[in-house]
Amino acid sequence: MKKDIDLLKKRNRARRDLMERAGSTGLALTGLIGMLFLTVLVWQIAKPTFIDGESGQIEPASEFIPESDYILKWDHPTVDENGDLIGEAVVLELSWNDGSPQTHEITITVTGERGLKEDIIVDSNGVSTNEVVVGKKTKFYLLSSLNVPVTVEQLSGPVPAADPTGKPAVGAFVISGEVDVLVADGSLVATPLEIVAWVALLGAILLISVPMPTMLGRLERLGGKERAVKYGSYLLAAATLALGAFTLDAWLGGLCWVMVGVITVRLLEGLTRLRKQGRDPTQFERLKHTITNREGLLMWARMLFAFSMLFIPLAIDIPFLTERYQDIFIPYASGIRSAFFGTVWVMTIAMLVSMPVSIGAAIYLEEYAKATRTTKLIQALVTNLAGVPSIVFGMFGLAIFVKQGGIGLGLGPSILAAGLTMGVMAMPIIVLASQEALRSVPRSLRESAYGVGCTQWQVTRDHVLPSAMPGIMTGSILAMSRIMGEAAPLVVVGAAALVLFDPEPLAGLTGGNLNFTVIPIQIYFWTSEPEHAWHSMAAAASITLILLLAAMNSVAIILREHFRRRLNP
Amino acid sequence: MDPMERLEKKYEPKKTPFFNARNILFFTSLSVILITLGIIQTLLFEAMSFFSQVADARGWFTFEVDATGLSSLGGVSFVLLLLALAGEYIIQFKRDQLERASKDLMLPRKSITTLVLLSPVFVCLGTGSFLLALSLMGLIFVWRRAGKAYLLLSGKSETTPDRSVLYFLGISSLAVLFFSITNNYGGAFGEFFFKTQWTPTGACADRRALCENMSFGVNSLLLTTLQVAFGALFIAVPLGVGCAIYLSEYASPRLVAVVKPTLELLAGVPSVVYGFFAFIYIGPLVVEVGEYAFAQGWIDAPPNVLNPINGAIVVGVMILPLVASMSEDALRAVPNELREGSLALGATKIETTFNVMIQASLSGIIASIILALSRAVGETMAVTLAVGTVAVYTSNMFLPAQTMTAYIAQRVGGDLPFGEIGYLTIFAVGLYLFVITLCLNLLGNKVLSAYREAY
Repeated sequence: MKKDIDLLKKRNRARRDLMERAGSTGLALTGLIGMLFLTVLVWQIAKPTFIDGESGQIEPASEFIPESDYILKWDHPTVDENGDLIGEAVVLELSWNDGSPQTHEITITVTGERGLKEDIIVDSNGVSTNEVVVGKKTKFYLLSSLNVPVTVEQLSGPVPAADPTGKPAVGAFVISGEVDVLVADGSLVATPLEIVAWVALLGAILLISVPMPTMLGRLERLGGKERAVKYGSYLLAAATLALGAFTLDAWLGGLCWVMVGVITVRLLEGLTRLRKQGRDPTQFERLKHTITNREGLLMWARMLFAFSMLFIPLAIDIPFLTERYQDIFIPYASGIRSAFFGTVWVMTIAMLVSMPVSIGAAIYLEEYAKATRTTKLIQALVTNLAGVPSIVFGMFGLAIFVKQGGIGLGLGPSILAAGLTMGVMAMPIIVLASQEALRSVPRSLRESAYGVGCTQWQVTRDHVLPSAMPGIMTGSILAMSRIMGEAAPLVVVGAAALVLFDPEPLAGLTGGNLNFTVIPIQIYFWTSEPEHAWHSMAAAASITLILLLAAMNSVAIILREHFRRRLNP
Repeated sequence: MDPMERLEKKYEPKKTPFFNARNILFFTSLSVILITLGIIQTLLFEAMSFFSQVADARGWFTFEVDATGLSSLGGVSFVLLLLALAGEYIIQFKRDQLERASKDLMLPRKSITTLVLLSPVFVCLGTGSFLLALSLMGLIFVWRRAGKAYLLLSGKSETTPDRSVLYFLGISSLAVLFFSITNNYGGAFGEFFFKTQWTPTGACADRRALCENMSFGVNSLLLTTLQVAFGALFIAVPLGVGCAIYLSEYASPRLVAVVKPTLELLAGVPSVVYGFFAFIYIGPLVVEVGEYAFAQGWIDAPPNVLNPINGAIVVGVMILPLVASMSEDALRAVPNELREGSLALGATKIETTFNVMIQASLSGIIASIILALSRAVGETMAVTLAVGTVAVYTSNMFLPAQTMTAYIAQRVGGDLPFGEIGYLTIFAVGLYLFVITLCLNLLGNKVLSAYREAY
């Protein structure tokens, strides 16, 4: 009997052990699945940006010659009611001289069918085909991998519609190899001093967060020269500013130098203090506590670094981001300049509108409101507004801000209407985050302020708000980063697919060109295009957007971690 | 003047100005009410002008009465609901009658209860009627309530009657009766809510005004929306809840420090980027599966790159962080005593997790699932890019379809003059969408607050 029970126990234990192991392994796998998804996502988006998606081979960066890019375009061939083309085939003569002069005649037949397409590829061996059939409403390209211009002359056939920009109707479009959209001809525009400043800041951050004893020992030789270090850093900052001609990135570089100087001085002071106490200064745990306000210093330094990262696009010349507008026909000649500035303006307006109002609402709900019916209603509305689909906010914006008449403000599909819509959308998120932050301020702080005779507004303004500010800021930044990636409301508000100028933020009020676009909208329209090349552009824009969001989120995370550590050490 | 009086006058409390801090802050918070009213006004006003335009031509709500429908499945559901109503009435008002019921009927063995609880699924699969399955579920729900009341009866504890269940069952049985004896719904509301063909542009000479060929059966959009949303839950719930359990019960703090920011990053990726991802990567993968299914004869048409499965997968990935973080919060809020008590009784860790922790945090997890469902229903850009733009009513999930949000996004993409019928349809669809998500949010927040009170 006892033997049986032992056996049963043993068996049972084996089963339970197996369950335990299988269960924990399964759970661990689900826990890691998020990371897997993220990896696949990033890889799939990075692939078409930097790598040829079709052949899977990495190609060298292009030799892209925008001045000579012309396109062969028969967008609307004349077709009779049977769908047959009226008129004869187009005959072109291509000629170039790259050492061995060549001339080729190409016959192009246009049919009424849609979507038919064949590009003409020109290389040193000649042309890929002499007979090309293209469909109705199809764009096709003359791609050349030669480094010399190709002359195109039309021998016969109907003359295609002239390009609105005044370029000749027939010409050659030169691309050699695959194009790396994001880094094509990305040269450095930052001065070397700025880059050294960023690297030095990174080094300084590392030094006060995880220092190595050897580095500390080397640093100690500077002991007693604090003043020299201080003025040296000011000098370097001034030099950076002067060299960078007082641009934004120069200012950032200068700030970085000052920060490096401050960190070094504080470190040196800490080291000397430890020496005076007769302790080993390379013991980091002790050094940590001797540096004045190390946590705060670290936070500012990290924020500055993250901020500098945000401005790397300005330091490295990426024509995709800051120079090129969207091109109507040629994918690789497109950029997101107007979308980039559109995003900046929409975010600015949204922030200016939503932050004061929603922080005020949060303060009222947390500090002033009594538990009346109105308060409960407002609270319930805030909670539910945060869950309303974004596209519904878009429809709200369409009816209230865009359209004229009724209660519509009639701003038109402009940046102002978009910014207001986005601000309304961000509001409940910011209110909830701010309430959370205000709630976490300890009760004793309020009580003691009341105890010395402060009015409620004084308590709120001078004591509660400053302690809740980091939480509020974090929530606001996260809300902003969330609406930055939203495209749905702006599709409804009426963002344009094609904007060939810098957006005018106040066009809705003052008149002028209303059209605007933002990066997510650009990604949406580029993804909807049938050709693969446009998808590369969408991928590049996606990467830009994700990097911008990551920079914003990391600022929020740095803030949050710092204040969490400060509040509960 | 008397110096005392002067002093009193100096220090007498000043009248607070109207624009004091408190009032200004109150006005800022009123903006929330204004926004909500604005949203509701916009949607309701435009949607009603849509319905009234349709109603001018086709009437508000028309149907044909067909009493033979009572003998069909609809009639059976009606009878089931009536039974449930009667049972509920006994529970609420004739509680002493319950004592006469046999114990085997009220509190059967657990295996039998489980079998009965699963029966609606079999009924649904067998007869293909959701209505019947739902009525059966109502009946089973009342049966379990009766069991609970029976248990309490023996313990002589008092419970207050809850009329809302009674009202709900009464209204739903009336509704089932109505729908089982009528068919062929028409008119503005009948067409919108009961028909399945969505062709708001139709083949008309003038697309701006209402014409005969236009059909506004929103169910084709609703079906795709639900396919995508529940498909997304199918992916996000096991993974998200598993992830939450792992993070809160098993993972070392160092691993948590890596996995949590990853999930946050996953949540921070914009939805249009997910759409792009679905378009270039998931779509082709789904097509490969679909081609295999087509070769086997499981589906009747060759698959397309744009399809609801594609949308479901990508939306599932999008809502995964939401489910994971909210479920993790729920699990972390469970008092440690429960966990320790279970471990002290000799349960292994996995037994503790599944039998104690999940049971204790179940309402929090359910709230997270409901809120994630609401998010999935309202998701726009990813779905627009992944699911397609053809409004069809089909159960084949490998074909392009259109969700409600995608319809709105696609429709406003073109030029939409103010007040024409195409412009008004988006508000009708938007109102329906708003009501669905609002109900889900209210339910989710209610479950969440109930659970927060528990701990």
